[in-house]
Amino acid sequence: MVGPQYDLVGNPLGAVRTTFEKAAAAAAAESGGRDPVAAFRSKDWGASEVFRSFLFDQGGIDKVPLLDASNLGLIKPNTLVRFRGMVQDMLGNEFYAGAFKDGSTWRTNKFTDFSPFAMPHPCDSHLWERHLFHCVPVPGQNSWTLESTPGPDLRQMSNCMSPEQREKRKRDGDDDVMDVSENGNGESSSSKKPKEDGIQISSNSAEMPATEAVPEMNGNDHHIPGSSFSCLVKIYDMPESQVKLNDVAEFIGVYTFDPELAAPNDNSDDIMFDLIEDVTAQLPPSKVPRLHCLLLRKLSSQDFLAKQPVEPLPSLLKGIRQSLLSHLTQLLGNDDLAAQCLLLHLLSRLRTRVDVVTVGRLSLNFTGFNRESASIFGNQLNTLIQRLVPYSQAIPLSIEYLNTTALQPRKDNKSGRLVTGVLQLPQGTHLTFDETIMQSGSLTSKGVENTVLLKNLMESLMVEYDFEYYKLEMATDVQMLTLSEGKSNILPSDLVVPFRPSTVPAVTATPEELESWRWYLATVRSLPQSNEPEILQTIQDEMVNAMREDRSLGCSELSRWLTMAQITASSFGEKSLSMEHWQMVKELERLRKQRIQ
Amino acid sequence: MASNDGGNSPNTVSSPDARPSSPLPATNSSPPQSARRAGGRRRRGSASPFASSPSLGGFETPPPPGRRTPSGAGASRQRQNWTGRFPPTPSTPMSTDDVPLSSEAGDEDTPETDGGGGVDATPVFVWGTNISVQDVNAAILRFLRHFRDPRDAGRVDPVMDEGKYMRAIHRILELEGGESLDVDAHDVFDHDPDLYGKMVRYPLEVLAIFDIVLMDLVARIEPLFEKHIQTRIYNLKSSICLRNLNPSDIEKMVSIKGMIIRCSSVIPELKEAVFRCLVCGFYSEPVMVDRGRVTEPHICQKEQCKASNSMTLVHNRCRFSDKQIIKLQETPDEIPEGGTPHTVSVVMHDKLVDAGKPGDRVEITGIYRAMSIRIGPSQRTVKSIFKTYIDCLHIKKTDKSRLHIEDSMDIDNTNASKSSEDHFVRDKIEKLKELSKLPDIYDRLTRSLAPNIWELDDVKRGLLCQLFGGNALRLPSGANFRGDINILLVGDPGTSKSQLLQYMHKLSPRGIYTSGRGSSAVGLTAYVAKDPETGETVLESGALVLSDKGVCCIDEFDKMSDNARSMLHEVMEQQTVSIAKAGIIASLNARTSVLACANPSESRYNPRLSVIDNIHLPPTLMSRFDLIYLILDKADEQTDRRLAKHIVSLHFENPEVVEHQVLDLPTLVAYISYARNIQPQLSDEAAEELTRGYVEMRKRGNSPGSRKKVITATARQIESLIRLSEALARMRFSEEVGVGDVREAFRLLEVAMQQSATDHATGTIDMDLIMTGVSASERQRRDNLVAAVRNLMMEKMQIGGPSMRMTELLEEVRKQSSMEVHLHDIRVALGTLMSEGSALIHGESVKRT
Repeated sequence: MVGPQYDLVGNPLGAVRTTFEKAAAAAAAESGGRDPVAAFRSKDWGASEVFRSFLFDQGGIDKVPLLDASNLGLIKPNTLVRFRGMVQDMLGNEFYAGAFKDGSTWRTNKFTDFSPFAMPHPCDSHLWERHLFHCVPVPGQNSWTLESTPGPDLRQMSNCMSPEQREKRKRDGDDDVMDVSENGNGESSSSKKPKEDGIQISSNSAEMPATEAVPEMNGNDHHIPGSSFSCLVKIYDMPESQVKLNDVAEFIGVYTFDPELAAPNDNSDDIMFDLIEDVTAQLPPSKVPRLHCLLLRKLSSQDFLAKQPVEPLPSLLKGIRQSLLSHLTQLLGNDDLAAQCLLLHLLSRLRTRVDVVTVGRLSLNFTGFNRESASIFGNQLNTLIQRLVPYSQAIPLSIEYLNTTALQPRKDNKSGRLVTGVLQLPQGTHLTFDETIMQSGSLTSKGVENTVLLKNLMESLMVEYDFEYYKLEMATDVQMLTLSEGKSNILPSDLVVPFRPSTVPAVTATPEELESWRWYLATVRSLPQSNEPEILQTIQDEMVNAMREDRSLGCSELSRWLTMAQITASSFGEKSLSMEHWQMVKELERLRKQRIQ
Repeated sequence: MASNDGGNSPNTVSSPDARPSSPLPATNSSPPQSARRAGGRRRRGSASPFASSPSLGGFETPPPPGRRTPSGAGASRQRQNWTGRFPPTPSTPMSTDDVPLSSEAGDEDTPETDGGGGVDATPVFVWGTNISVQDVNAAILRFLRHFRDPRDAGRVDPVMDEGKYMRAIHRILELEGGESLDVDAHDVFDHDPDLYGKMVRYPLEVLAIFDIVLMDLVARIEPLFEKHIQTRIYNLKSSICLRNLNPSDIEKMVSIKGMIIRCSSVIPELKEAVFRCLVCGFYSEPVMVDRGRVTEPHICQKEQCKASNSMTLVHNRCRFSDKQIIKLQETPDEIPEGGTPHTVSVVMHDKLVDAGKPGDRVEITGIYRAMSIRIGPSQRTVKSIFKTYIDCLHIKKTDKSRLHIEDSMDIDNTNASKSSEDHFVRDKIEKLKELSKLPDIYDRLTRSLAPNIWELDDVKRGLLCQLFGGNALRLPSGANFRGDINILLVGDPGTSKSQLLQYMHKLSPRGIYTSGRGSSAVGLTAYVAKDPETGETVLESGALVLSDKGVCCIDEFDKMSDNARSMLHEVMEQQTVSIAKAGIIASLNARTSVLACANPSESRYNPRLSVIDNIHLPPTLMSRFDLIYLILDKADEQTDRRLAKHIVSLHFENPEVVEHQVLDLPTLVAYISYARNIQPQLSDEAAEELTRGYVEMRKRGNSPGSRKKVITATARQIESLIRLSEALARMRFSEEVGVGDVREAFRLLEVAMQQSATDHATGTIDMDLIMTGVSASERQRRDNLVAAVRNLMMEKMQIGGPSMRMTELLEEVRKQSSMEVHLHDIRVALGTLMSEGSALIHGESVKRT
């Protein structure tokens, strides 16, 4: 109906307005002109339907540019953009005059920061609300995830940049340069294609700095305006609970930029300015783009895959499993046991949470590293993990790191914003801790807090956020791999495997292989499990027997065995656990125990 | 008069159903105008400005920034910007020197004509509504005059003839101090639901009338009373969650709960400006602030001068009122999972300034307001976004921010119980008290502690006692008796000791969890040490000092260095830590309960060795533990199977194993922290029981041949028993320690050491008799069986008579009992009887002694 006659990408607000006026007219006719638009409060009048069908049914999504730090200045305001990011902070609600009567027609301000028409001075208006989310690029996002979603080439679009914007950008020029260099992208941001940018990220995270540099990927303080790219997403018509903190989503909406909004605030000497003023004032529109979200979809690891979904047949999965396992084995210097454990670890995810007990996680601790082997194997391992999972981070665990880094996200009540910490992570992040660089030394109180935080994360997959007057625990699901000399007591992992390499790793993987492995990991992790009662009974008997043989077995060991067996079954593409998998796990455990002794 | 955003939007914004019969949906005048007009008419002729008009005018939300003041001068424009963000509010008090009321009040002879618009015959309506000002006026007057608290109904008192609020007004007049009249919204509702409805929906208008009526009333009683009395409404019938404030609440009276997170400094707000001519020095008449703006006189009013643009503001002759902005944030319990707390700004005036501090939990009654913000210099961008805030009418502190125990462990704060009473919300206490009255509260608490850990009921009971704690006592002589209960768990690996520790660590207010391995115990700083051989990293922390007034959980106690362990001696009895540093010996408080767990000396419990040998800790240290639990892992297929089943169900089934009658963690924490404020006293009977039991215990320990093999009772133990009994009394919220508590304390102590299972001759434990891992029902069954066997023996056997075979006994018991009994059970029961001394077993035969 409306779709074709509008350039939905170039002028999304036009479509919004048209649909609104139509709907308002219809409602007015129906209600007899009493108050036709009152019903549209926190409701859609058909605008998002138009976009939905255009984007998803007609494949229009490919025409929508992906907003990122590199093309921020190139995109024309009031056009349709996509933004992929993590909800870093929720800034509450904003009230705005959603609809007003201009003469005899109703107009809307939805999906925009200012009225496209001058609002007549005294007029009928309706106050509506929208939610504000502060979104940042996903911490630790790996470069391959960006490849799968190329937007249209923006360099052609650069000439449509509005002159005022150029001017504006010039004005903040100095700051911008600084920001960019902080981000590690030494050059001017506007000359960069998204792809290059991705590589920058990868090189940034690929480094496993032995001593000094701490990966700053998300160490950037998003709290300081302009220190990193972020986006203020305004979400309409949605119960707030639908989006949670640290969710990763793709927001499709109208990018707005208004130089008037960006005008520097000269009244800042007002004493109560900061108190009544809301937090958006700290996010200057020139640095933090506003996105009025029309549609959003949450992203899972499968959404980053380039391939079209394939039916996960066991035979297919088995083949990929074999190739991945052999690659892992070679990577780990022909240590087959370690490779098997690593595979299980990579496939683990939090299944359920019962009280304080978490089911399904499998954190792994490779022991027997020293500095040299950690740099050889660790780097290889990190590089591979980066290529396999959407988000990953390598954390060098040193005294200095513990003492200085802000791991804990903290609410700054002065600014009203959540200051991010390293542990503010999206679900499914992979963390690699390198404990080999840990030396003896004193921990400051911050260091102690950080160790407690890490330990808590390991044990219950919870991160405590500091809200100044109280702490709030947020559930996370992260996979944690620790490389250490001896068993790590700071990071007590579920599975401790002494690492025994026999060769030096020298393997490379083809892009096709990598792609299939990614698909494999994402698919297996989401495979549903269903088990027959018989097998459960058998396993119970097995457990009882095991306990009879070894009295030191406790709840945690048995629970871990079961987790491992379950993952093993999934890794073969099986939906149900069988004795065979149980035996494999027992054998694995036997070999592992042998090594420990 | 052009309308402004604030005045306009609320009326057009509110949903139609909120204003069903709105006759004037969108006129351009704003409500205060008409109300003021009404008032103004009545007050015509009064020389000084009408007292309430500034406050009425204040209802207007700020003028649109685009509007220019007539002067158009730079200065006034700036002021206008300033006022744009400082909307005057209804709660602004009137000036105290404005006394037209008293003089005019005399003219008014009947209360019916009182209030705005009384002179005019035509009814005056609140703008945009069908609410008649006169009606509201009369309703308020009726309410103030005639409302009687139903609770006062029974009392006969000469003053009682007057209503509750008349008395309050009189009181204010007498004291000359109060500047506000607190009005319970429930009272308004009870008296006149219609008025309540109007008040909540149109608070600005109704409250203004309320103030006028109140002042008139005061003026009639005491014509010389000069202070302004303000109405403060509180206790609305429904309070709203901060998160759910939405556009339809704008300009409504709302009540929200939250936590203050920030307070601004006190802001002086201009109420009345005085100008001085720079040319001649003439002082102008005070100029009232009208809707947040002051009009600067253009020319000097002095006849002789008439200089133009010469007037300047004289700050120290202006009048200011206090104002403060606070940020209110949602309380943690209102935040949905995966969300961050919302905040709202609250504007406080005058007396309310500094009424709350950051961290306080408060309930605020106020008016939710929105004002347009000025983003850019252009007009069009102004209107679409609104800032919201709440004009505070009343603030009530609800609760301390932490329910946790802060000072109750401190023996110096003996009156803590009184003050902490206020910390709890009333109904919460009621709920807890109700809980405490349940007959099975003890079992219920036991079940609620670490529900994931099976069995170990008696260990859990001991841990509960530790959480509740006994009374700390400081004698005038300076002698100190600790109230903290120390517990040591000794047990085989894999008996979930560590999980118990973890759980306790979570539950206790200032719990510290540390591993004995490498714990320096007393150091003030934490230290990471690396084991030179294994390369394992170990965290050393000054756990004991850190856990002052909490529970210090020490895992792997046996691996603790002797040096560190020796420090514990002092901590566990004197509750201080002495540190020698740079020639200064410092004594630091470490009022902590120690919960330690250790493996037996041979890493597994050796049943052939005595208990003492198995634990292998210096007796001096051991005696400082009130309870020492031997958690022995007895090969028992039944338990293994249950564990296996539990794990499997955890993984594969919907873990909706709803455990009934279990307190959730916050309730448990609240329950404990409340109970800790109770100081139970030993009753006489209980004291007697204590003495009796203690003497018996001594006897047993001193029986020949058992020396050094069993733990003998010492004077320390009687202290332990007192502490345990007190803790048990606290669990019932009882002020008195009963005999039952003492008995249970004895039982706990015995079970802890497996004394019922100990062979006193050798000091070893009969593994079949272990009680710790036994559930309550199982123990009940065993007790029954013991009783049955005892009865049977009484019947069938004589003291010193011929022995009986166990199988025979089994047959007999089976005949009598409905339960299924095995030979094994009989053996266990006989073991108990033997320790009681009423039976003797020789191989398969039993003798009565």
